[in-house]
Parts: sequence; structure tokens; C-alpha cells
Amino acid sequence: MLFKLILLFMIIFIQLPPLNSSAGTKIRCASTTSTQNSGLFDHILPIFEKKTGIKVDVVAVGTGAAIEIGRRGDADVVFVHAKEQELQAVEEGYFVNRHDVMYNDFVIIGPSNDPAKIRGMKSASEVFKKIAENSAFFVSRGDNSGTHTKELSLWKKANIYPQWGSRMGDEAHLTHLQKWYLEVGQGMEKTQRIANEKRAYTLTDRGTWLATKDKDKLEMVIVLEGDPVLFNQYGVMAVNPQRHKHVKYKEAMEFINWIISKEGQHAIASFRDKHRNQLFIPNAK
Amino acid sequence: MESIIEGFKKAFSLIFGLDAELLGIIFLSLRVSGTALLIVSIIGLPLSALISLKKFPARGLFISIMNTLMGLPPVVVGLFVYMMLSRSGPIGFMGLLYTPSAMIIAQTILAFPIAVSLCHSAIISVNPIIKQASMTLGATSLQTSVTIIKEARYGIMSGMIAAFGRVMAEVGAILIVGGNIAGYTRVMTTTIALETDKGNFELAIALGIILLTISLAINLLLHFVQRKGALPVNR
Amino acid sequence: MSLRLNISGVRKSYNGKPVLNACSFSFDRNGVYVLTGSNGSGKSTLLRICALIESPDNGEVIYFSGNNIISKDILLRRRITLVLPGIGLFNTTVFNNAAYGLKIRGGKNKETERKVNNALKFVGLIHKKNHNALTLSSGEIQRLGIARAMAIEPEMLFLDEPTASIDNENTEIVENIILNMKKEGRSKTIIATHDMLQAGRLGDCMLLMDEGKIIKV
Repeated sequence: MLFKLILLFMIIFIQLPPLNSSAGTKIRCASTTSTQNSGLFDHILPIFEKKTGIKVDVVAVGTGAAIEIGRRGDADVVFVHAKEQELQAVEEGYFVNRHDVMYNDFVIIGPSNDPAKIRGMKSASEVFKKIAENSAFFVSRGDNSGTHTKELSLWKKANIYPQWGSRMGDEAHLTHLQKWYLEVGQGMEKTQRIANEKRAYTLTDRGTWLATKDKDKLEMVIVLEGDPVLFNQYGVMAVNPQRHKHVKYKEAMEFINWIISKEGQHAIASFRDKHRNQLFIPNAK
Repeated sequence: MESIIEGFKKAFSLIFGLDAELLGIIFLSLRVSGTALLIVSIIGLPLSALISLKKFPARGLFISIMNTLMGLPPVVVGLFVYMMLSRSGPIGFMGLLYTPSAMIIAQTILAFPIAVSLCHSAIISVNPIIKQASMTLGATSLQTSVTIIKEARYGIMSGMIAAFGRVMAEVGAILIVGGNIAGYTRVMTTTIALETDKGNFELAIALGIILLTISLAINLLLHFVQRKGALPVNR
Repeated sequence: MSLRLNISGVRKSYNGKPVLNACSFSFDRNGVYVLTGSNGSGKSTLLRICALIESPDNGEVIYFSGNNIISKDILLRRRITLVLPGIGLFNTTVFNNAAYGLKIRGGKNKETERKVNNALKFVGLIHKKNHNALTLSSGEIQRLGIARAMAIEPEMLFLDEPTASIDNENTEIVENIILNMKKEGRSKTIIATHDMLQAGRLGDCMLLMDEGKIIKV
């Protein structure tokens, strides 16, 4: 009896319409968790879909992974914020038609009481130096994301190398792991929460910070902002159809052309988080 | 503490409000795991019957391998399936990565050794007198095998339910191969992971409660099946 | 033509320990043979070998119809049956247990139902036909085992210790069943028992086994 019941359930499962069917065209966009978690895609993609009938599936991972997904041909378009890496991948022939889309900026945040006395400083690399001198806790994304890449470049500029031995190859002057340096390998928001719990400093993007500081009840403040080196450029690029024949290049280009068009740029500018803050400033040329 | 209470409130309002997106997520979870289980039954059941009832040289080795694979780390399975299905991988041309089919493949691989191992032990624990009785009554060897499998039916069902429970609760593999795409490959566990990342603890807890409820239902069913197997009741 | 069984020089050992030792006999006549002997004299093993669910290490087990030798295939196996001492009931209803032999022979539903009902009436279990077989008492289990064998109308029926594990009342019921079957002359029956009095009550032909041989007729 029970046997038959279970069998019946299973038959119902197969009778259902196939899982992978879709009415309109779909493209896949590999992007970053910070972009997705900010809610930007929920705002702009429906506008794009309404206009063109193209649905955009977003796979949100770290910047490094997103570029890798594109390289392997597992996405049609890549939307990330690591300009140097992007340009390099374009150079190598994996992507075409890269365009600047928008920017936000990075900020350094820390505990409200600012134990390392950072506030008032002007240069990000000087701040990092001071954090190291005071052995104040610092939480690193440690996940190869755009934010992580930016953080590493700042350490390099400060000539301090607190990272794990795993990057021995890249960092010639590597010292062993510092107790105050915590690599967590998590997304931006989680990293902020860990920093909050550990009373640590961290590098974050303003978008995530604004979108989450109240929600997550972070007892933290911005200790440094406005250094030009903290500029965070987002770019979009299509997977090279000559390398991966199956990609939906035409649709991908439709998306890219839309997002850098007046209309797409306006959609980005009109996006507000729930506290009415503008998170991204469009700057496509 | 506050967020936990908020989570419960949110859970109830979501569940009783029959939120369409939430229902879609629950339904996709059930479908992906259900389909994986169906594939496992179609391939795994005859296989476990074969290794339980027929003697062949590598049988012991095969059983040991299955028992070891029961403990497969899901992320390893996820990585393996990812490498296989990626456009740059050996069967990338099928374009299955980041689709529900990819998730079904990963869950099938995870559920397979569990189902085969548990079904195998259910079948070999059938009293040998059943085989003899069936033979004395004139059964062919195929009929005898069918009879033994029928006697093991409650154990087999337990194995299937246990496998289903495991894949329903799994997150590592399907996150890697499904990509957690909203409205397409987003299931309960990956939604919980994402909402936790986003700091939406209420929604994450709400989903957790629903997942726990489903697990509880599965385990109650398992308990019922096992009791039914152990203690037949008058009808 | 009635079925005859001839065994000659049958040997069987388990883990190097001989159980049957050049055992020979011809079961030619109709009626009830009773096989007695102490525990470990080889009665059960002999029955299992005769019923073709085990093969001997040495020697021959030959079935005849008239003077023709019958090959030991599934068709022959379906003309004989053995009721095991533990019976081995299936986890399903009493009716389905009794119907098992007919169902695997591909019998028609109506015919099967009639025969099974008759067999269950014969052993006094018809009122429990829809109960799960595993809820029966040990006496009822023995009776169902006999009914299950009777339903397939075997030409040769082996019963291994049919009353060893049941109380006096049920022993009497089982003995009456066997005597009734004998009256109806349905089949050649071979019963193994260690109960000498029972052997006297049931048997037409008494056989004594010792050390793996039939030593006295």
C-alpha cells in the first residue's frame, strides 16, 4: 500500500512539465554577491526583461569566480568590479566588448570607538599601516573577490604582508600569519558582521555598508572615505563567441548595450536601497 | 534573541500567507530531490538486489566502496559535477550547468550510495528461510528473488526515505552546480544560505523552520515504515 | 502415473561433518512414510535433498513417473513440496501466503481463490484469511504452512517436524489434518518427526534413521 503511494508521488513528479523549459530567451550573467545582495539586479533586470523579453539569470559568486565562470564558457555575460583582471581576461581573448558601467567606492569601517585612532587620516595605505602597527583586528574577505583584490593592493602599497602562507608565491616578503589578521573567505556582508563581532576593522564597499549597517545592527562607523585609491569601478563584458560557440552573444550584447545606454544608466541611477540611499553612480562612456 | 522571535513570526506569516515565491522554492526542492530519488530507485534498486542476491567476484569490494561513498562530502560531489558539466568540461556541450538538471545529477550521485547500501543491508537481512520456503513452493530463481525483495520492502523504503532526507537537507553540492539562480535553481537550503549571507535572518529562520518541518515529516514517515516492518498489525 | 522417488548412496556433509552417509531408499508406495530418529540423525537434510532444494555431495536422487526418469527441473519441483520446520511465512496476509504457490505458477484468479479457500478451510484458518500471517500463533503458523503446501496439490509432500514447536491441542489439529489428507489419498507424504507415538498414529510405513542412513523399515 505504502509502496504504491510512494510510487504515485514519484509518477506525479515526472508528469510535471520539464524543469528546464522557458518561454522566452534567457542569458546567464555571472556577477558578484555584493551586486546581487545590494538589490540592484532586482531593480534593473525586470526593466530590461520588460523591454527586450530577455530574462537574465544571475549566478552570484566572488569576482574571481565570476570571471572564471565566464572564461569556462558557463555564462554569457560577466558583470564584476575588478577592472585590471577584467582587462587582462579581455586581452587573453576570453571576453569582448568590455565597458565601464558604474561605480561605487570602498570605505574602511571599524568599531565605533575606533581603538586604533584611524579617524582623521587621509590615505588608505597609511590606515593599513597603522592597523598593523597597533595589531588591531582586521577582517579580510580572503575569497579572491574584487574587494579582496583591492585590499591586497592596499597592503602591498603599505608594504605589509600579513596574509596566510598560501600566497607565498605572490608575496615575496611574506611573514607568517598575523594573529590580528583574519581571513574569513566569506561574502561582504558576512565579513562585516564578523568584523562587528570581533571589534575589527575591514574594507567594504559603500553599497553593502549602507544597505546593511542598520539591518545588521553593526556597531561600526566609517573611519576612512574619499581616498581616490578606493574607487570601485564596475564593468560588463561578453564572453567571446569565437572561443565558446554556444554562448548567446547577440542577447548578451543586447544586455550590454542596454545597460550602458541612457535608459540603462538611468535605471542604475534610480536604484535606491531601502533607506533611500543611492548606491551606484552610473559612468558608462 | 529578538531576531529568532522575528524569524518565527515571519515563518508563520510566510507559511500561512502561501507566499508564491516561497511555494516555488519549496516545490523546486521537492522536485529536484524527488526526481533524484526516482532515478536512484530505477538504477539503484535493481543494482542493490543484484549485489545482494547474486554472488560475483568483486561483490565485497563493491559493497565496501558503496559504504565509503555514503560519507561523500557534498561539496566534493558538487565540484566533480561542476567540472563535468562546465562548458569546458567533458559533457559541457549539453549545457546543463546551472540548471535544475545539474542539481538532480549531483543529488543522484549523493543519494545513490546511501540508497544502495541501505537497500543491500535490508535485502541481506531477510531471513534465509524465506528463500527456502519460496523454493519449496516451486518458485523460479527470479521469482524467489522478487519474493525476497518484497520481504525487504520496509527496509528498502527506509533506505529510500533516508536518502531523500539527506539530499533534501543538502546545500554544498547544489549551490555549486545550480548557482542559486532566483526563480530557477534556488531551493530551500540555498535560499537559507543566501538569506543568512544577506543578513535576512528572519527569512532564513522561516525557511529553516519549514525545512525542519519537512525533515520531521520525512522522519515520521521513516519511523512509521520501520515500525510497520517490525510489528505487523491486524487489519 | 504416480510419482516415485529413489535415492541411492546419498552423502552430504556440512563443514566436513558428515550428515548423510550413503543413504539409500525407494519411496514407491502411496501413503504416509514416517521418518524417525534422534536429533542430528539427518532427517531434515534428507528431506531437503529429496525436495530438491539442496543437492547431495555424492549419490543420486531420481524421480520416476512409471519407469521414466524425470529431469529435475522447475516442472518437477512444482509437483513436490516441503513444509519447513520454521515454515517461513511471508510478511503479507494469510490468504496471500496460501496463494503464493498458485500465483507463481500463473494460476487463474478464480481458480486460485477457490483452491486457497478450500485449503484454508481444511486447516481451519479461513476466518483469518485477511490477517497478516506474522500475527498468527505458532500452531496456526504450522497449519498455514500445511495449507500453503496443500493449495498447490503436490504429488509428493514432505513435512519436516510439523508438530515440534507447538502445544498438544495444535498437535492434535495438525495430526488430524494429516490423517484427513491420507484419507483423501491426495499425495504421497513423507513426515520427519522425533515423536515415536506420533509416528505410530500417522504412518503406513515407518523408517528409522541413524547416523545418516535409513537403517530400519
